Amino acid sequence: MLRKSISKVAALTIVAIVIVIIVVAAALFTIGPAPSPSPSPSPTPAKKYKVAILFDVGGRGDLSFNDMAWLGAERASKELGVEVSYLTPKSLQDMIPLLESLSESGEYDILVLIGFLWTGPLNQTADKYPQQKFALIDATTGVIRDNEVDILFREQECASLVGIIAAGMAYELGGNTIGAVAGMDIPPLWKFHIGYLFGAKYFELKTGKKVNFLWQYTGTFTDTQAGYTTGMQLLQQGAKVLYGLAGLTHVGMFNAVIDWNKEGKGKAFAIGQDASQEWYAPEYIPLSGAKRVDVAVYTAIEMVVKGTWKGGIITLGLKEEGVGIWDLDGVEWFAELAKETGQLKDMTPDDVYNTVKSLREQYIKDYVWDLVNELAEKIKKGEIAFKTPMTHEEYDAIISELLKGNLNAALEKGSVT
Amino acid sequence: MMSLAHFLMKFRERIRARYEEYLVITIETLASAIIGFSIGALVLYILGFNPAKIYFILFSKGLSNPNYLLSKSTPIMLTGLAFAIPMLAGVFNIGGEGQLYIGALISLIVVTSTHNPALGILAGMVAGAALGTFKAVLKVYRGVNEVIAAIMLNWVMYFLILYLLTEKLYNPQIPHESIPVPEDARLGKIPTPIGDIRLIFFIAVIASLIIYYILYYTNIGYMLRVAGLSPKTAKYAGFNPNLAIIYSMALGGAMAGLGGSLLLIGYVYSIDTTMSTLFGLGFTGIGVALLGRNNPIGIIFSAIFFSMLIIGGEMIELLAGAPPELADVLTGVIVIALALPYMYRMLISYMRIRRLIKK
Repeated sequence: MLRKSISKVAALTIVAIVIVIIVVAAALFTIGPAPSPSPSPSPTPAKKYKVAILFDVGGRGDLSFNDMAWLGAERASKELGVEVSYLTPKSLQDMIPLLESLSESGEYDILVLIGFLWTGPLNQTADKYPQQKFALIDATTGVIRDNEVDILFREQECASLVGIIAAGMAYELGGNTIGAVAGMDIPPLWKFHIGYLFGAKYFELKTGKKVNFLWQYTGTFTDTQAGYTTGMQLLQQGAKVLYGLAGLTHVGMFNAVIDWNKEGKGKAFAIGQDASQEWYAPEYIPLSGAKRVDVAVYTAIEMVVKGTWKGGIITLGLKEEGVGIWDLDGVEWFAELAKETGQLKDMTPDDVYNTVKSLREQYIKDYVWDLVNELAEKIKKGEIAFKTPMTHEEYDAIISELLKGNLNAALEKGSVT
Repeated sequence: MMSLAHFLMKFRERIRARYEEYLVITIETLASAIIGFSIGALVLYILGFNPAKIYFILFSKGLSNPNYLLSKSTPIMLTGLAFAIPMLAGVFNIGGEGQLYIGALISLIVVTSTHNPALGILAGMVAGAALGTFKAVLKVYRGVNEVIAAIMLNWVMYFLILYLLTEKLYNPQIPHESIPVPEDARLGKIPTPIGDIRLIFFIAVIASLIIYYILYYTNIGYMLRVAGLSPKTAKYAGFNPNLAIIYSMALGGAMAGLGGSLLLIGYVYSIDTTMSTLFGLGFTGIGVALLGRNNPIGIIFSAIFFSMLIIGGEMIELLAGAPPELADVLTGVIVIALALPYMYRMLISYMRIRRLIKK
């Protein structure tokens, strides 16, 4: 028995060795011509900057944060001529060793970290490598360092525009209630809440039409079922437009809105956030608020290439095109991405484009666009700026003032009348 | 001292007696490693990557940081044991995932309130063992399939932690993380010739050795193995096979719970709300156990090997521009190739027994 199995093993070994030889030959074959193209780009005059984009856990294919980061980096590589590499960490505990080994190698001029999970790991490593530049997107360590830039968004600005449009659409749909399905009760969501409510009250102020406002936290960013039930509740309370502010959770809210329409319970719309999400159901999602992670990534790389690097916190708003409302080109781009990843099934990106276009023309009236443009202009010129609450008490106070109709309570600078 | 000398002597005898068997296993493993890596190279070649370069990255990056390598192998070593021990007793424990969660959770609660790491680890082990025992009791006394119970309980534990993280245990400064393990209760690193290595790795290795001793040198271990090979024989020999199931699940659960608490107290110090710190470690443990042939000593090495593949795999994307899934594919191919001979042998012996029974 033993001898038999040994002979079997010997045979297997021979087969294995043959395979190895074939593979090694193949490998040598590929290595052979490989070095020839590499010397040709080397005599480029300027220094080629190297950038590493470190994604959130999960990485590409989310049609949101990570894909947008990729988009920004690709744009930088085209327009600024930088060399970009990507890395997807497996989990939180891999982040510190990765930052350490990449910083130690000194290979990369900047490490761009996507998403809040990197906050703690960066905070623990940034001081050890003062010569390594880091950019943290959509989060902050709360510490000012020369080698670290934290890029945040002024979410209130895009949410306020969405609030105006949502209120306008609710009236076109024969109601006056708008709602939002929010994720966890954390500072970024406070900013959305303030902006969205501000927009609704701004609409009320300018048109004299009453807007009923609903806001519901689900406590999760990952539970589509919670998004569905919360969405249904808000629809039953009469909401005509629902704003999704809960990551994966609000995909459940999309489904609730789709079912609500299909079951003939009434007509209602959903609004997406961060990436353009119209492609998910273009007949029912006419709009998405934009959080341009691509712009943030590009900005960070640009600072290194153009020598304007300065450590600290940067916020991007309407003026910098860091937030806003996705235009139809953006809608089409994400629809194409969704098509590529196989998530857009029964439609072509053109269909999405046309459906959204006609929906917007039909349900967002000119007077609403005028209000939106007016407010956007004020924000861009810096005539008004929103408050960013530091504590939950401050946030509660702003919301209760806004609900009373005191819009200026949400403003740091300027006023609206 | 006497017992240690006795143990070593027995160990030597064991190796001498089964010398040829071990030789075959070694040749088998080496051969299947070559085959696995060759098939992987073929896959890489077909997909248009340079296999030599990818393998160079995989090994050089995977092994470049010993502390990272060994720290990352710690939890999967223990979830590997959590799968292997019940497997030897004939039970399929895929609940290592949930047992790891509960171990991490309970030890977080205990350690933040008592500031005592030893107590935290103990509590984590007990919690994991309790969950394992619960599944075993359901199986033995109510006939509930342990796989189904484990799958469902994994999710119960997952959402329990998520609920507690978002509602009760969150860190006010960093809301996406749990309250951290207090500084004075963290397990540190110890200096070694290959750099500072986290203490938790050594604890995990000691745990594996203890499990090895229990399985092969004690009555309980003997009972487990006999019951696993043939419950009828166990009964005939005067063992209660049901008791063997309960013991094995309790031991396995304790190991997964230990993995969770060591990971928390000695490595990550807090859990994040995306669960990326904990998710998947239990399932990876199944692969580790298969690769280590359900042998606690083998599992030590297979966990380190797995850890190398995971760490090196991450860097493939950065340095070779390959999609991150490629590393997973490569890992899968290599692991399957390495585990095949063991499965093949199990199949052969199973068929031989069937034939004997028919006669």
